Amino acid sequence: MADVPSQGVQEPFDLIRLSLSERVFVKLRGDRQLTGVLHAYDGHMNLIMSDVEETIMIVEPVEGAPEGEGIVRAVKRNLDMLFVRGDGVILVSPPSRT
Amino acid sequence: MDSPSPPPPPEDSPPPPPLPSTSSGSPTDFLKAVVGKRVVVRLVSGVDYRGLLSCLDGYMNIALEQTEEHVNGRITNRYGDAFIRGNNGS
Repeated sequence: MADVPSQGVQEPFDLIRLSLSERVFVKLRGDRQLTGVLHAYDGHMNLIMSDVEETIMIVEPVEGAPEGEGIVRAVKRNLDMLFVRGDGVILVSPPSRT
Repeated sequence: MDSPSPPPPPEDSPPPPPLPSTSSGSPTDFLKAVVGKRVVVRLVSGVDYRGLLSCLDGYMNIALEQTEEHVNGRITNRYGDAFIRGNNGS
C-alpha cells in the first residue's frame, strides 16, 4: 500500500499516523535525535515514545581548530518512556517501508 | 560526492518551477502546483532537505519522500519518508 508514492498520505500528519506503534527516528532541536516506538502524537507534534535511545551530539572545541569545528562527541542514553514537547521537533521519519 | 545521483531536481536553484497556466497564482496555488515534484526545503538552521514533496498543510508541515538531508552541501542523511514540522521551514 505504501509503495505507491503519496497513496494514503493526503496530509503530512498521515505520515505520522501510519507510523504509530512503529520505530521512528526523530530529529530535535539542540542537536538531539531519538529512535523509539511511537505511541501517540497530537497536532503540536507532542509525542509519546517508548524504548527510546537519545543521541546528543556535543561539539567540543579544539584549541587551534577553526570556530565551529571540533571533536563531535555523541552521548547516548536510553529511556523507557518519554514525552517529547512538540516545539522541539524538527523532523520525524518512519521506518523505511519501501 | 555521493555516487547514485537521482534525477536532477528541476527546481534546484532560485528560479521557481514552471508555473501552472494560471498566471500570478497565490502562494497556495504555487504550493499545490509543486506537490509531487522534487523540492528543496530549507530550515531556519540552514539545513536543506531535498526530496519529493508528497503533501503539506496549513502550518506548512511538510511530508517528503526520498529525502536527502544536506548540511553544508554534503548529504548527511537519507530518509524514505520525512515529516518536517512547519515552524522549522524557512
